[in-house]
Amino acid sequence: MRKLLKNIDGLLRGSFTQPADLASGRIAVPVATLLIAAVLLGAGYGVFMGLYAVLRPENASWLQLLATTAKVPLLFLLTLAVTFPSLYVFSALANSRLHAAETLQLLLVAVTVNLAILASFGPVTGFFMLSTESYPFIKLLNVAFFAIAGFCGIAFLRRTLNGVFAIDADAADDKAARRAQRRPRNVLRVWTLIYAAVGAQMGWILRPFIGSPDRAFELFRERESNVFVAILVSFVGLFR
Amino acid sequence: MRAEGAYAVRGETVPWMRLAAIVALAGFAFGAVMGSSTLRPMQSVYSGLKVPLLLAGSTAVCIANFYAVNSALGLRDDFAAACRGVLAAQATVAVSLASLAPLTVLVYVSSDNYRLAVVSNGVLFAIATGAGQVTLRRHYRPLIVADPRHRLAMLAWVTLYVFVAIQAAWVLRPFIGAPGLPPRFLREDLWSNAYVVVARTVWELLTRR
Repeated sequence: MRKLLKNIDGLLRGSFTQPADLASGRIAVPVATLLIAAVLLGAGYGVFMGLYAVLRPENASWLQLLATTAKVPLLFLLTLAVTFPSLYVFSALANSRLHAAETLQLLLVAVTVNLAILASFGPVTGFFMLSTESYPFIKLLNVAFFAIAGFCGIAFLRRTLNGVFAIDADAADDKAARRAQRRPRNVLRVWTLIYAAVGAQMGWILRPFIGSPDRAFELFRERESNVFVAILVSFVGLFR
Repeated sequence: MRAEGAYAVRGETVPWMRLAAIVALAGFAFGAVMGSSTLRPMQSVYSGLKVPLLLAGSTAVCIANFYAVNSALGLRDDFAAACRGVLAAQATVAVSLASLAPLTVLVYVSSDNYRLAVVSNGVLFAIATGAGQVTLRRHYRPLIVADPRHRLAMLAWVTLYVFVAIQAAWVLRPFIGAPGLPPRFLREDLWSNAYVVVARTVWELLTRR
């Protein structure tokens, strides 16, 4: 456990994604370690997120807490599983130094960083779960924390991607050199767009994460509407 | 207050215990005065206990995120210095509150208006928070010069801390004690949310015909 915490600390510090390592296409942390860390961190946040279902006066449900604990890491890992093929193709097209396995490792590192930031919001979420009855507020709070954690994951990727893409030393002219320098940013944009869109919809498919207070426990909801409409409805619900 | 000696900006250690003791004592002093508007000793004791609890509890809830944000920004090596700044800022808030306690007494002596008591203590909390910011910035200045990413870490801390502290203050109320109600440690309607109450109030004001 201590070693795992040390590895997570190393991930956050960027010890495993040094420019020299990335330039040689190497990421010195095993996939198994990253998976275990991602599952534990996601489950850690899931416990705090699931507290609302246990504490609400009506339809209190321990099952929802268990489901949320499992669903949070699942959300991130399933999103990665769905998006990885396209993310790898786009990065290979942009002349990435990383092969498929290393690209997966890099994305897992970013997901783990994302989950570590999310887990660090756990005590704050727990505090609001203990002191808040408003379901729309709790939903918006969690959307905000997931978004902030996501941005931190993107910032981490942005820092590392510069070392991943080869810039041709013998670029034909300035224009070609500039184009090469823009590559990491463009790849990051495409990755972010795909990952965020799939992640948002995956979250919608896996819902409920919090559990509506006026509904009994259900593992998954019926297919209806989409995530963006739901956020808008929650915002309006704050005022009613 | 001057960031000298054991509390110096570039100090070698973080004087946790001393800073915690300052928060506890100065916070209790102000809280006791704040709870004395209706001269009920129990309300003074409750409020005295709750002010340090508010400052320490909000810090405890936010510190894990502060650590993660500093690590993710690559600022882990300066975490002790950043923590020193954060804790020194808490102590400054508590000391500033204690120094403003005579003003609270003056307000209570001048008027028995409950709303005035609430507003004046709110203003004093805002002033003390501003004083805390002075200390925080003083500790962060050399860090930001060395690495501008510290500015983002500081902003993240202040935003999350204020967000949590407002709700913590709401949960821990009453601090003053309404004249018609018996002294209590916590209100009966504990499970409500400050932001939801404000949003509903604003909505009602906007939609009132």
